[in-house]
Amino acid sequence: MAASLVNNAQHRLRRLAREFRFRLNGWTVAAVLLGLFLFLPMAEVLWHITSPAENWEHLRDTVLGRYLKGSAILVVGTAGLSLLLGVSTAWLVACCEFPGRRFFEWALILPLAIPTYIAAFAYFDLLDRLTPLLIWVRTNISPEAMTWLSDMMVYPVTTVVLAAVLYPYVYLVARAAFSRQGSRFAEAAQTLGHGPQSVFWYVALPLARPAIISGLALVIMETLNDYGAVKHFGVPTFTTGIFRTWVSMGDLPGALRLAACLMVLILFLLLLEKWLRFGAKFHKTSPSDRPFQRYPLGQAKAGLALLCCLVPLVIGFALPLSRLAYWASLTAGKVLDATFLKLTLNSIGVATATGLATVMIALFLAFTARYFGSQAAGATNRLAILGYAVPGAVIAMGVLLVAGQVTQATGWILTGSLAVLVLCYVIRFLAVAWQPIDAGMERNCAQLNQASKTLGATPARSLFHVNVPLLRNALVAGGLFVFVDTMKELPLTLILRPAEFETLSTKTYDLVFQSQIPESSVPALCIILVSLLPVIWLNRQMRAPEQ
Amino acid sequence: MKKFLKSFLALGLLAGATASAAELTVYSHRHYDSDAVLFKQFTEETGIKVNVVKGSADQLIQRLASEGKNSPADVLLTVDAGRLHRAKAAGVLQPVKSKALAKNVPASMRDPEGHWYGMTVRSRVIVYAKDRVKPGTLSTYEALAKPEWKGRVVARSSSNIYNQSLLASIIAANGSDKALAWAKAIRKNMARSPRGSDRDQARAVAAGLADVAIMNTYYLGILANSSVAADREVAAKVGVFFPNQDGRGAHINVSGGGVAVGSKNKKEAIRFLEFLTSAKSQETFGNVNHEYPVIIGNNKSELLKSWGSFKADDVNLSVLGAKNAEAVKLFDLAGWE
Amino acid sequence: MNLLTLRSVTKRYTATDPPAVDGVSFECAQGEIVALIGGSGSGKTTLLRVIAGLEIPDTGEVVLNGTTLNSPTRFVPPEKRDCGLVFQDYALFPNKTVSQNISFGKGSTDDPARIGELMEMADISGLEQRYPHEISGGQQQRVALVRALATRPSLLLLDEPLSHLDPELRDSVRTELLKLFRETDTTALFVSHDIEDAMVMADRMVVLRKGTAEQVGTQLEIYDRPANPHVARLFGKTNFIPLGLLPDAPHSFADETGDGQVVPVRPHQWQLVENSNDGSTAFTGKVVSTTNRGAHQEVLLQTENLTLTIHLPGNTTVKPGETLTVSCDLTV
Repeated sequence: MAASLVNNAQHRLRRLAREFRFRLNGWTVAAVLLGLFLFLPMAEVLWHITSPAENWEHLRDTVLGRYLKGSAILVVGTAGLSLLLGVSTAWLVACCEFPGRRFFEWALILPLAIPTYIAAFAYFDLLDRLTPLLIWVRTNISPEAMTWLSDMMVYPVTTVVLAAVLYPYVYLVARAAFSRQGSRFAEAAQTLGHGPQSVFWYVALPLARPAIISGLALVIMETLNDYGAVKHFGVPTFTTGIFRTWVSMGDLPGALRLAACLMVLILFLLLLEKWLRFGAKFHKTSPSDRPFQRYPLGQAKAGLALLCCLVPLVIGFALPLSRLAYWASLTAGKVLDATFLKLTLNSIGVATATGLATVMIALFLAFTARYFGSQAAGATNRLAILGYAVPGAVIAMGVLLVAGQVTQATGWILTGSLAVLVLCYVIRFLAVAWQPIDAGMERNCAQLNQASKTLGATPARSLFHVNVPLLRNALVAGGLFVFVDTMKELPLTLILRPAEFETLSTKTYDLVFQSQIPESSVPALCIILVSLLPVIWLNRQMRAPEQ
Repeated sequence: MKKFLKSFLALGLLAGATASAAELTVYSHRHYDSDAVLFKQFTEETGIKVNVVKGSADQLIQRLASEGKNSPADVLLTVDAGRLHRAKAAGVLQPVKSKALAKNVPASMRDPEGHWYGMTVRSRVIVYAKDRVKPGTLSTYEALAKPEWKGRVVARSSSNIYNQSLLASIIAANGSDKALAWAKAIRKNMARSPRGSDRDQARAVAAGLADVAIMNTYYLGILANSSVAADREVAAKVGVFFPNQDGRGAHINVSGGGVAVGSKNKKEAIRFLEFLTSAKSQETFGNVNHEYPVIIGNNKSELLKSWGSFKADDVNLSVLGAKNAEAVKLFDLAGWE
Repeated sequence: MNLLTLRSVTKRYTATDPPAVDGVSFECAQGEIVALIGGSGSGKTTLLRVIAGLEIPDTGEVVLNGTTLNSPTRFVPPEKRDCGLVFQDYALFPNKTVSQNISFGKGSTDDPARIGELMEMADISGLEQRYPHEISGGQQQRVALVRALATRPSLLLLDEPLSHLDPELRDSVRTELLKLFRETDTTALFVSHDIEDAMVMADRMVVLRKGTAEQVGTQLEIYDRPANPHVARLFGKTNFIPLGLLPDAPHSFADETGDGQVVPVRPHQWQLVENSNDGSTAFTGKVVSTTNRGAHQEVLLQTENLTLTIHLPGNTTVKPGETLTVSCDLTV
C-alpha cells in the first residue's frame, strides 16, 4: 500500500519535472527575460515612489491637489463626452436606417487620424475668440465674473477638443458590440413589450457594457497621456505638473515621484476597469445568424440622426482638417523643402521599424506563453504591455534613468541613438500589437497548436507554419495600429530624439513652440494624411466578416 | 595582447580626433532662424561643421548629465541664465576663458568662473494699453501689486523660466518674504489665471481684457514684425515701459552658452562662442530676432531703439539660477499657477 | 368570437422568389392550442413572426382579441401586441439573472406572487439568482416560457419549442408543456416540423407547405380525411389506392400527378383474408420484405401494379416470397 503511494508520488513528480522541463526552455526563458526587460523602465519610475524627494512635501501641499483636480475634471469630462458621442453614433449607425448611414459608418472613425495636440493647435484660437464674450461679461456683470468665467472656460473647451478626436475609440467598440448582438435580444425584448428606446437602454447598452468600458479606458489613457493640448489651453494636469516639476524646478526626483503617483493612479484605473467589466463572460453572445433589422427612421428622426452623426465628424475632423488645409495652402511653399522630405522619411521609417519590431515581439511573447502554457511568461507579458497605459513622457524618463545607469556602469552612450528611441516606442505601443495577436491566437490557434505538438513539430515550425498564416489579419492590424500611433507620438519623441533627427511630430511642435501656427499645419497635415490610410483600411477590415 | 589593444585604442582615438576636428555638436534650446543663419556663417568662415541637437534646455541638461564625459556634445545653448546656472550646478559645463569673450561679454552677464557666457539680452518689461494707461502711472514691478491695479494685470504661467528669473531677481533685491508678498498680490490683481504665451498677454491687453502685462521685449518685436496684420495691430496698440529706472533697473535675462565638460573640441567651441558674441553676430540677433546685444548700448536695431534706452539691473545673472528653485516654490505658495 | 384570426396573409422577401407565406388564413379560439406543422421552407416561422409583429406582411389581416394588428392600412409594432414569443434558442439575456429575465417584460411585475406560482408550475423555483449559462437547456426553455407568460399575453407563440431538446426528453416535455398551458389557461400557437408535437399538445393543427395552408383542422379530421398525399404522409407511411379500386371509400383526393383520385389507406387498416370472395375488395400479392417492429410486423406486399405497406399483428409469421391476400377496413 505504502509502496503504491510512493510510486504515485514519484510518478507525479516525474510528470511535473517533465512539464517543468517542457516549460523551462530557451523560448520561455527568453520570453520572460524580454518581458522583464521591457518592463524595466516603468519599474524604475515606480520605484521612485519610495525614493527620497526633498521637495515632496512642498509639492504635496501646494500643487498636487491642483494637478489631481485638473486631471480628474478633464478625464471625467472627456470620458463622459466621448461616451455620449461614441455610443449614440454607434447605435444610430448599427441599428437604425437613415439616408447617409453607410457614409457615416466608416466616416465616424476619421478623427482617429488626428492626434490630440494637433486638434488643440487647429483650435488654438478657440479661447481667444471668446474674448469678446469675456469683455462683455466684464463690462456688464463684473470683473470677478469675467475672471471666474475665463478660468472655468478652459475645461469645457479642452474637453470638447479632446473628446472630438478620442470618441472613435468608444464608437468602434460600441458599434461592433451592437452589431454582434444581432436582432435576437432586441426582438425578444420587443415581444416582451419594450419599444426601441427601451431596448436600447435595458438590453443593447447593458450587453455592450464590457466593450464600451474597454473603449473608455483607452480614451482615459490617451487623455492622461496628452501634453500638447493641456499645455496649450492651460489645464493643470498630472502630465503638465510632471513636466513643470522636472523642467521648471529642475527637480527630477520630485517629477519622478509625481510620475510614480500617476502610474499608481493608472494602475488603479486599470483595476477599476477590470472590475467594471466583470461579468464580461456573461456577455459572450454568439453572433446572430439573422442580421439586425435596422429601425427605419421617419423624416424628423432621420434628420436628427444625421445631425447627431455630423456634429462629432465636423468638430473632430472636418473643421480641423479644413483649417489646417487652409493654413497649409498659405505656407506650404515656405515649409516644404529638402529637409522636410527628410523628416517625413524619418517619421515613416521609424514608425515602420517600430511596427515591425512590435509585431515580431508581440508574436513571440504571445506564442511562447500560450504554446508552452508558461505562467511565468504569461505574467511577464502582462507587465510588458503596461506601457500603453503609461504616458510617453514617463516612459522616456524611465528609459533615461536606465540609460544613465548603463552609461555609468559601462560607459556606453545609449541616449541619442535611434535604437533606443524605437525601443521606447515598442515599450509604449506593445499592447496595441499584442491585443489583436493574442486574441487571434486564443480564437484560432489553441487546438491547432495542440495538434502540432502531438505531431512532433518544433515550436518554430508551429509558429511559422501554423500560427502566422492564421494570424495574418491580426498581424497586419497590429502593425498598422502601431504604425499610426508612432507617427502621432510626441512627448516621448521630444525627449529622446537623436541629434539632427526630426520627425513630423517634432517639427509640428517646434513650429507651434515658435508660435508659427500656420506653418505647423504642413507637417501636421502630413501626419494626418499618412494616418488616414491605415485607419480606413482597418475600418474596412473590421466590417468584413471574420474568417 | 595589451600592446595590440593599446595601438587599437590609439588608432580609434586618432580616428575620432581627426573625424571630429571639423565638427561641433551643439545642444541648443534656441530654435530661431537667426541661429541657423549664424551657424552657417560660422561654418563658412571657419570650415567647422555645426551639428545641432534641439531640445528643451532641461532635457538637454538631463541628457548631458546622463551622458557624462562620454557625451558627444561640445556646446550647450540656452535661452536664459537660470538654466545656464543649473547646467553649471549639474556639472555638465567646463570653465573656459578667452580674451575675446571677456571683452565681448560684460561681467554681470557671464559666470564668474567662466562656465557660461551670455550672448543676447531680453528685458522683462511692463507692456501697457496706450489708450487706457498713462505711462506716468507706472513706476516699478513692485507698484503693480497695489490695489489700484486689481483686475488689470495679466502674465503668463509661473512654469515659464522668464517669470521665475524675474522673481529670482526680486528675491535677490528685496528678500524672500517681500517677494512672496509681491507674487501673491500680483496674482490677486490678475484679470484671469495665468495662461498662454507672452504674446497672448499682449493680445489680451490690446483686446481690453487687461490694461497691463508683464512680458519680454523680444516677443513684442516678433509681434511688430509679424506677417499677420492682427499681430501688428496688437503691437501698435501697446507701449513698452522699463520699470525700476530710479532703482536697480529693469530686469534682464540672457541667452547664452557654455562648453560641455566632455567636449573634445574645446578650442573650436571657444571660437564658436566668441563668434556668437562678436559684434557682427550681435547685430544679426538684433535685426533678425529683436534681441538686445550683451553690450546693450551697442544696439543697432531700429525697433529696439524706438523703445528707448534703459537702465538694466546689473546683478550678476548667476543669481537668477541660484534663486530659481526658491522662486518656483514661492510661486507655488502664492498660488500663481 | 375567435381570439386570433388570420386572413390571406402573404409575405414575400424578394420580388422574384415565390412568397414565403402565400394567402394563409386560419383562426384560433380562446383557450385553444394550435400547431403549425410544416417542413423547412414551409413558411411556418415567418407566419409566427408576422403574428408577433417582427415581420410585416405584404397583404392580409391579423386580428387579435378584436384588435386589428395587421391590415393594409395599419401595423401595430411588436411591443404593443398582446402576445408573447418563446424563441427557438430561448434568447435569454445572458447578462441578467433568471429572475431579472423573467421580470423584464412590461407588466410582468404587476403581480409578483404570480411569478412565483409560474416558476413553481414550470419547476424552476430556486433558480432565481442563476445566470442563463449556468442552467441546463431544458431549464432555459422553461425560464423563457415563464418570462413570456409573466406578461399575461392573450396569445403565446412558440417557435419550435422542442427542437433543441434531446429526443428522450421530448415526450416528457410535451406533456409538461401541455399541462402548463392548461393550468394557466393559455392560448398557444406553436410551430413545429414534428407531427408528434401536434398529436400530443395541440387541439387543432394547420399543415403548411411552401407557404400555403394545405389543411386546417383537428388531428383526427386531418388524419381521417387528409386533403392531399403530403398531408396524409405526415402521419406516417400511407398507401394511395386509385379510387377505381375502392369505389366505396368515404374520402379521396387527387394524387400527386393530378390525374386521378386516390384513397388513403393506413398500414394498419389492412387485414389478412383467407378467401377472396366475400365481396370486399381484396388485393393479392407477393411479400417482398418483412420487418418486425415489435408491436407489429411491417410487410411490403407487391401486387400487380401497387406496392402496399401493411402492418400485421406482431406475432404473425410471414415470410418473403409468400403470397398473401389482404383487404382494407376503412372504418378502423
